[in-house]
Amino acid sequence: MGSPKLEGQVQTEWRWIIAAYLFLAGVGGGAYLAGVVADFAGGAAWTTVSKIGVFLGMPCVLIGCLFLLGDLGRPINSWRVWMKPGTSWMARGTIIIVLFMLFATIQSAFWIWPFPGSIENARGVIAVLGAIFAFLTVVYTGLLLGYSQPISLWRTALLPVLFFVSAVSTGIMAIVLIGRYFEVDAAQLALLARIDAAILILEMFVVVVFLYNAYRTLESRFSAKRILAGPISPGFWLGVVACGLVVPFFLELFGGEGIAAGLSAVLGLFGGLCLRYVILAAGTLDPMVAAGFEFARVARPKDPMPAMGKLPPG
Amino acid sequence: MARYGMVIDLKRCYGCYSCVLGCKQANCTPPGVFWSRVLRGEMGAYPNSVRQALPVLCMQCAEPDCMKVCPTGATYQTDDGIVRVDKDKCIGCKYCMMACPYGARYTVPEYKSYFPEGLPISDYEKYCMKVWEEKRGCGVATKCDFCIDRRAEGKEPACVQVCPAKARVFGDLDDTESEISYLIKTKRGFVLRPEVGTEPKVYYLPPR
Repeated sequence: MGSPKLEGQVQTEWRWIIAAYLFLAGVGGGAYLAGVVADFAGGAAWTTVSKIGVFLGMPCVLIGCLFLLGDLGRPINSWRVWMKPGTSWMARGTIIIVLFMLFATIQSAFWIWPFPGSIENARGVIAVLGAIFAFLTVVYTGLLLGYSQPISLWRTALLPVLFFVSAVSTGIMAIVLIGRYFEVDAAQLALLARIDAAILILEMFVVVVFLYNAYRTLESRFSAKRILAGPISPGFWLGVVACGLVVPFFLELFGGEGIAAGLSAVLGLFGGLCLRYVILAAGTLDPMVAAGFEFARVARPKDPMPAMGKLPPG
Repeated sequence: MARYGMVIDLKRCYGCYSCVLGCKQANCTPPGVFWSRVLRGEMGAYPNSVRQALPVLCMQCAEPDCMKVCPTGATYQTDDGIVRVDKDKCIGCKYCMMACPYGARYTVPEYKSYFPEGLPISDYEKYCMKVWEEKRGCGVATKCDFCIDRRAEGKEPACVQVCPAKARVFGDLDDTESEISYLIKTKRGFVLRPEVGTEPKVYYLPPR
């Protein structure tokens, strides 16, 4: 029942600012995770890579937090988010990102000023705690969006998975990009690029499953169409698919070192930002169904009287 | 304690938008803010199609999602079940706007004039801006509260009073003798999006 052409109301509240935060939190958390894994798995040979990853964590998330503050309607009240922990993913998330920044800072301090003897052993514990909160920093944003009742594009368990995979891949790309300026062994960078290529395959798979799921769900089909063929399809096909997935994948596999590696990292990071923006901008409120009728929600017009927007000349 | 609710008879509503304007005047809402709205729907394909208007407002849910997601506890329920926003606690994160299944919440960064820039602001608009700043505030989430000020004066909510078709009935759901309880019971009253489980207190009577 209902008109098949019915278009939903697109959410306009969370746009570039929130996308930038999601992206930066992803890069910071992903780079930190990659750094810790390199530290544990690679040992002393991978120290530089590990350092770059760990050092990237805190500043990226901190800049992201500034974006978050900038989006608030009343930033002066923002301290109140601490008063009711556990009310929602918004409150839990602020605690998660602050704890992550704390552990990442301690972890960085261990690298800068090597502590003597027994305290040095605590580095491993801090690394594990930091990694847990890095993981939560990346994943909670997906849960936060997933709590939205009327936007069925976000109301899926795939969103945290997608954000996590994208965060790890962009985090490794950030390490590769910066690693070129810090005398990281070329063979190690090449290996990182190979690992990232494998993660990109996984990300492609998750993106396809996410969109397939969105398209198969009747409520979110309009959102999926907006991504695939609607007004934000350039951002998806050029930004996410071309810049974020396909081109970096081939550059990482066949491009070799030098300019190709840097280019693939820059494109991949841009693709990660586009991915967050596309998902936010495609969010469409489900049509309301009542008594067999399907009702599109009236858009929230930014300019209620566009015809009167300008004074007549003279 | 009373448990306030509303019944909207879709058979009577002919989509005149009086409730939208009545709400705007009574609550001095800025441009782009529609606590009371009218949605348009269509059933069937062209020769055999029926159109229907659906007035919506905040459903004053018993289990409000907007209150559950509020990170600061700025959204609260009064004793009579009205969901309100404490403007001194709200940080303007807009999470409630994403969570509300009915799209009933609005926020504006600033109270822009209804008229083109450059024209002088009328005294009425200045008054509206003052009221808005005092009671609601810019940058924070705002929503319908069943005209709490008008009810304090013993009046009905504005959208109920202005409805020319008398499609809206406001009353106490707990009072089994009230008109609203009678209508819901006898005229097959239903709520919007019951699957969400927010237990809305605005009921609708079927259009046929």
